[in-house]
Amino acid sequence: MKYVAIIRQVPDGESKIKVEGGQVDLSGTTMILDQMDEYAVEEIIRLKEQHDGEAVVVAFGPERTEEAMRTALAMGADRGVLITAAGYVDPITQAAALAKVLAEEAPDVVFTGGQQADWDSQALGSATAEALGWPVITWTTAFELEDGKAKATHDLDEGAEVVRVELPAVFTAQQGLNEPRYPTLPGIMKAKKKEIKKIDAAELGVGGSKVEIVEQQIMELERKVKIIDGTKEPAAAAAELIKLLHEEAKVL
Amino acid sequence: MVLVVLDHDGSKLRKSALEGVTRGRKLAEVLGGDVVGLLIGPGADAVAEEAKNYVSKVFTVTGADFETYTAEKWAKAAQAAAAAAGAKAVVAPASRTGRSWTPRLAYKLDAALLEDTLDSWAEGDKVFATRYSFLNRVLEKQAAGLPAVISVKPNTTPLAEPAGAGTVEPLSVELGELERKVEVLEKIVESGGKVSLTEADVVVTGGRGMGSAEAFEMIEEFADLLGGAVGATRAVIDAGWRPYSEQIGQTGKTVQPTIYFALALSGAVQHQAGMNKSKVVVAVNKDPDAPIFKESDYGVVGDVHQVLPAMIEEVKKLKSA
Repeated sequence: MKYVAIIRQVPDGESKIKVEGGQVDLSGTTMILDQMDEYAVEEIIRLKEQHDGEAVVVAFGPERTEEAMRTALAMGADRGVLITAAGYVDPITQAAALAKVLAEEAPDVVFTGGQQADWDSQALGSATAEALGWPVITWTTAFELEDGKAKATHDLDEGAEVVRVELPAVFTAQQGLNEPRYPTLPGIMKAKKKEIKKIDAAELGVGGSKVEIVEQQIMELERKVKIIDGTKEPAAAAAELIKLLHEEAKVL
Repeated sequence: MVLVVLDHDGSKLRKSALEGVTRGRKLAEVLGGDVVGLLIGPGADAVAEEAKNYVSKVFTVTGADFETYTAEKWAKAAQAAAAAAGAKAVVAPASRTGRSWTPRLAYKLDAALLEDTLDSWAEGDKVFATRYSFLNRVLEKQAAGLPAVISVKPNTTPLAEPAGAGTVEPLSVELGELERKVEVLEKIVESGGKVSLTEADVVVTGGRGMGSAEAFEMIEEFADLLGGAVGATRAVIDAGWRPYSEQIGQTGKTVQPTIYFALALSGAVQHQAGMNKSKVVVAVNKDPDAPIFKESDYGVVGDVHQVLPAMIEEVKKLKSA
């Protein structure tokens, strides 16, 4: 069987981001393999270890995405395919490009992260599934192969459900699906020699982005930061807090 | 024509449906035509009696095939309704399920997807939307051509008022091979609470510092007292103290209540992504250096096991006064 993880490179959540000329400027920002995609990569490596087959990482993004792809290869994926395109491309358009590569790869199982740490989008897995005519299961917390089908548990708005899915299918990962491994030093050395095939997005005949980002601004709310010491008299501190919420903030 | 997919609980419209109608009306003012609605699944026929007061026509899709949700079936139903209505724009709730089927619909319609939007409007034959990105730290404005599929972030939009009586039209949607590939084996219903987390005005979240599952009884009591909902951090979910559905953060739910209580949690970036747009943030933590204090309006440095019971007593006093 063949397993694919769709990955992306995103800013490290801990690092600062800045805006230049109304657009987010990522120069100087630490970029990492999206932590949600780490679950996807871990899952396809486990599937390969348990059932044999091949674990392939696929991405759509700028050239620098190769760094994140090397991380996935260092974790244990076999090879990578990177569709290169500069600038913002919406997930629906990306899905059309990814579907062309995936149709050729013909995997049985595709995983990707449940939400992206840069665009805060949840769309890529579902849109790619639609482009391929495959089912999608979002926010997967448990996964196993069973008689040529997949059995998965996934989160809904309230609660969760267990589903049986015909393959091939796309799954998006939720935290708790697995515990992603760290790349080992031998893994990192091996990853340098693993194949990454690059394809220019233009060669796939996919149109430009359907969505344009007109303007971006940093949006962090100013907080009052009124902190009361309640280490000695917790009851008095609680009384003061509730009074502030009632009289000053007027929210109680 | 604008189609609004109306979320419901089988007996009445959810708040998000009325937010969607408001968005739909705003788009229709510029794009022209009426606002039509779509109800899918069990109870749709009953809910249509309520829904027809808000839109000129309500499509209903019901039957054995639509007893359980899958992204494939819901996208198919919305596609059928969009075609029947000749809709240029489709509005849907940005719930977890909403965000799983709307990308499929956008792809089917060769439409732009504007996801989890705070506001949306049309100018000429273009649509615009604002939304957060970069773990909720950036506000961005997006533009796209038509057709467009727009999902509405909960609690961002005024609820629509009734506007007279529309009609109800059952729509028959035939499933294809794709829509029969997912079989629901078991529903895991979590008694998450009486108040929907994403719609609650008050959210009380406990972190690892609560120390035990039992300690959350205190949080439940406090949340009940304020008519709020209980949230939890990733660490708490991993410890098995609370269900996944209560997780707040990048990979859980995003909330923006009027007041957010962050109790005995440190405030990792991933957690902040789920709550940093709350109007007022209140933290209690015994560590004065916990990052959450910098992101709070009010805070108490102290042991939550002593401070929270006192807070409960103070709120009771306030309520009886």
